[in-house]
Amino acid sequence: MITSEKINETIFNALDEINQLLPDENKIEKKEDTVLYGAYSRLDSLGLVNLIVTVEQRVQDELGRSIDLTDEKALSRKNSPFLTVKTLSDYIASLLNNE
Amino acid sequence: MHIDFLVSGFEKSRDKTALICNDRKYTFGNLIDNIYFFKKELSAKQNIPSGSTVLLEGDFTFNTISLFLALTENNCIIVPLNSSSKSDRTELANISESEYVISVNGSDEAEFKKTGIKSSHEFINKIRDRKNPGLILFSSGTSGKPKAAVHDFSGLLKKFRTKREALITLNFLLFDHWGGLNTLFHTLSNSGTTVATADRSPDNICRLIEEYKIELLPSSPTFLNLLLISEAYKRYDLKSLKIISYGTESMSPVTLRKLNSEFPFVKFRQTYGLIETGVLRTKSKDDNSLWLKLGGEGFDVRVRDSILQIKSESNILGYMNYPSPFTEDGYFITGDEVETDGEYYRILGRKSEQINIGGEKVYPAEIENVIRELDNVADAIVYGEKNPVTGNIICADVRLIKDENASDFRVRLKKFCMTKLRAFKIPSRVKILEEIKFSERFKKTSNKS
Repeated sequence: MITSEKINETIFNALDEINQLLPDENKIEKKEDTVLYGAYSRLDSLGLVNLIVTVEQRVQDELGRSIDLTDEKALSRKNSPFLTVKTLSDYIASLLNNE
Repeated sequence: MHIDFLVSGFEKSRDKTALICNDRKYTFGNLIDNIYFFKKELSAKQNIPSGSTVLLEGDFTFNTISLFLALTENNCIIVPLNSSSKSDRTELANISESEYVISVNGSDEAEFKKTGIKSSHEFINKIRDRKNPGLILFSSGTSGKPKAAVHDFSGLLKKFRTKREALITLNFLLFDHWGGLNTLFHTLSNSGTTVATADRSPDNICRLIEEYKIELLPSSPTFLNLLLISEAYKRYDLKSLKIISYGTESMSPVTLRKLNSEFPFVKFRQTYGLIETGVLRTKSKDDNSLWLKLGGEGFDVRVRDSILQIKSESNILGYMNYPSPFTEDGYFITGDEVETDGEYYRILGRKSEQINIGGEKVYPAEIENVIRELDNVADAIVYGEKNPVTGNIICADVRLIKDENASDFRVRLKKFCMTKLRAFKIPSRVKILEEIKFSERFKKTSNKS
C-alpha cells in the first residue's frame, strides 16, 4: 500500500520540475487544493499534457510503478481526475492500490 | 473589388453587431469604416503598393480583420501569422518573401515595417498578373522547414458568394489556419456575428458561449477533450449551442460518445479541410459516427492506395519551397489514409512520420536538429506517441555523452527548445537511453513499444 503522503510528495516533485519551465505568474502551488485543470486553470493543453507525463515519469522513478493517467478509463470517468492535486492523488492511489 | 460582395452585405446590416472581439462590440458599419480607413492608410501613409507580399501578424481582432480585408481589396498577397508564432517569424517571412510585416499587438495597435525582401516567386507573379489577392499559409515540411502554400485568394473567396445561414459563431480556430479564416469569412459573408477571443481556455470559451448566446462552436478534438477534463461546461449555461464542429485531427470514439451524452441538445459535425485544398462540405452518418460524406460543389474526391486525393477549384498553385504535391491529372495527394464504405469515408490519419499535436503538425527532423545542438547530447530520435488529450505528444529518446541527472536534463532540454521552437514542438516525454538502436539498414528506429 502506497500512502497518500508518498503520492502527494511525488506529485509535488513533478510540480517542482514543471515550475522550472513556467513563468512566475503561472507557477503551480504545492497544495492539496491547488487547481490543476479545473476552474480558471493557468495551464493550457500542452501544460496539462506535460504535467501528466511528468507525474507518470516521477511515479516510475520514485515509486517504481508504471501508470497510464490518460487511458480511456481516466477520460470517461464521471468526474475528471485532473481538477486538483487532491483528485489526481486519489486517482493515482486507486491505480496503484488496484481499487 | 474582390470584397465588394462582402461590403454590400455589410451595408445592408450597418447597425447589426459584426464582431465581438475580446468583449468589445463592433457593428458592420464600424467594420466598413475601419476597412476604408486602413485601405487609405496602407497606400497613402505606409506606401504599401497593391500586389505587395505582406505578413500580417495578430489574432482575430477588429483591426487585424479590417487590415486583412483592406489588404485583400488592395490585391496584396497576405501571409497571416498567429501572434504565438513569434519564434518562427523571421524564417517564415523569408520563406514567403514577405516585403512588409504588419504586427497587431494585444492592445490591437498595428505596427508597419518594411523588410527589404523583394518578392518575385513565379506563383506570386502569376497572381499579380491576374490582379487578384493572394494568400500564403504554412504547412509542416518533411525536412523540418515549413512549406509555404500559395493560394489565389479570389478562388477561395468564390464560395462565400453563395448565401447560407449564419449562426452566432465563436471564431475559435487560429488566425493562420484556413479553418479559422474560413469560419470568419463564412460568418461575415452571411452577416452573422463573430465572437473572437485571445483566451481559448475552456472556462473563458464557456463564459463567452453563455454571455453572447453562441450557437456554433468550430473546435478541435483536443479542445473538446479539455472541455470535458476541466468540467468547465458544468459551470456555465451552454443551452444556446446548436452545433459543435470539429476537425484538424482524428477524434476518439470515447470522447465523441461522452460529448453526445453531456450535450444532448448539440449536433456534432466533423469537418475536413486542408491548407492546400480549402474546406470540403461534409455530412456525418449520424451524431455518434466518425464516417462522413466528403465533397460538395467544386470538389472531386478519390482514393488511391487507401490515400485520399482531392481536386478542387480552390487548390493551391503550389509550394514556394517544395516540389508540386499534385498528381499529373491535378489531384492533391493528402497523405491521409482513409477507409471507405460506399459513399462514406473514415479518416484514419497521416501515413507518414508527421506528428499531429492538437491539430498543429510537425516532422521529427525539425525537433531532432534542435536537440542535437544541445550540450552533452550525442544523438536524438523524435517520434509521436498517441495521447488521448492532444491526439499525440512529442517524445524524444536521447543518448548523452556523459551521465547527467534525468530530471535536470529534461528541464535543460525543454528550456533550450523553448528558445528555438514553438510550444507544441517541445518534447513532452524525454527519455535518456544507454544506446540508440539502429535497424539492420543503419536507419535509426525509435524505441516506442
